[in-house]
Amino acid sequence: MVEPLQLQTAAWALTTALELSLFVQVLRRKLGRLYPFFFAYLLSILLQSAGSAVLYGHSEIDKLTFWKIAWGMQGMVVLIRALTLVELNRKVLSPYVGIWALARGLLLGVAAAVIAYDLLLSKGDWQWLIMNGVRGLELAMAAVIVTMLLFARYYRIPVSPFQRALAVGLCLYSTFYVVNYSILEKVLRQYAVLWNFLGLFAFIASLLVWIGAAGRYTAVEEVAVPETIPAEVYGRISSEVNARLVLLNRQLIQILRLENRG
Amino acid sequence: MSLPVILLVLFAILLVGLLSWALRPPARSPRPPLDAFEALRQSRHSSRMSHILQALQPQDAEYLRSAGQPSLMQTLRRQRRVIALNYLQHLQEEFEMLLEISRALAVMSPELIAMEEMERWKLSLAFAANCAFLKWKLRLGLQPFSGFTLLSNIAASFARRLEAATTRIAESTVRSAEPSGPSHDNPGGF
Repeated sequence: MVEPLQLQTAAWALTTALELSLFVQVLRRKLGRLYPFFFAYLLSILLQSAGSAVLYGHSEIDKLTFWKIAWGMQGMVVLIRALTLVELNRKVLSPYVGIWALARGLLLGVAAAVIAYDLLLSKGDWQWLIMNGVRGLELAMAAVIVTMLLFARYYRIPVSPFQRALAVGLCLYSTFYVVNYSILEKVLRQYAVLWNFLGLFAFIASLLVWIGAAGRYTAVEEVAVPETIPAEVYGRISSEVNARLVLLNRQLIQILRLENRG
Repeated sequence: MSLPVILLVLFAILLVGLLSWALRPPARSPRPPLDAFEALRQSRHSSRMSHILQALQPQDAEYLRSAGQPSLMQTLRRQRRVIALNYLQHLQEEFEMLLEISRALAVMSPELIAMEEMERWKLSLAFAANCAFLKWKLRLGLQPFSGFTLLSNIAASFARRLEAATTRIAESTVRSAEPSGPSHDNPGGF
């Protein structure tokens, strides 16, 4: 029977191979110029894989130093992932000046609220502060991705297949990390190796989504943005449209009230 | 595991659900902006409310009941229910058309008024909930149509106000469509 540790080693090898494959795809499709932070993120995870291999090869390193280096690398990767997310949001929403101005504040608010809530759970312990901080950042990233996609859906803003894949990969990994960190590693500590393996599995799934999207990427995906109208025209028509919506809503409410009375 | 952590995990799971919903293709393809503004000029169902309400007066049904024609009365009520449901459907379509126009506007606008956008989100949620509630009520036949009759008195005033609002919108649209000097006065060509 295959031991969990052997499975994990195999998963690590597979992850590194997939990371390299994605890196090559991104280079071939010249996506690095369009998504520089995503490119930097790929570099950082490759460096993290190499760094982890070196770290595990030096068993003489004491536990605390090991912990600090490992979490330092993880922190760097998470930070670059957050920058990738900012880049993705900008790519999708910033061509629509008005919507971007509105969404920017909302997305920042969502991220800040989620991180603040998560940090409150650390109760001042610095070790928990770092680990919960990473979890908070992961959850905030997932929340920001979903908010951005909801915005895009509401305003019918086109999201290219590559951008969708980027969003799905980032969001799935982040949410899995939060669930894994919050429940599985705490409640079922004795199965830590298995849960680590599952964490890698979630990352492998994200990598596969990105590899597929990068492989299918064409320059045609970049969408044309409509011309803008003067702000005062928007303001005038917008308030009139709202007035009509209010009246229609009132009609319904009146019908409901009268029906209740009848 | 503490309650705050449970909430955190539930939130993460909710996010996955929302992600899959947000990635679904929209039920209907968006109208191009020009098409949306053309739709604004079309006739409005809400302005026909008084006629619909007139048709839904309960006196006929009451008369049939008193004349000993219960089956005919049932048929009449059933047909009127269909009319009411159709009317609600049209109201909903009109509402969605207005939302579509506001989206087309927002996409083209260099700045959005946050309060107006927020108001529109709230209105669309309230409208969707009310409309669904009323439709189910009518489908299940929980209430008689007597409630509709009182509406006839206010319908005329609603229609007038809607008419005035729409005229102002049409005027604004026409004004913005007029080529008047600088190129950005007629953006998007509508």
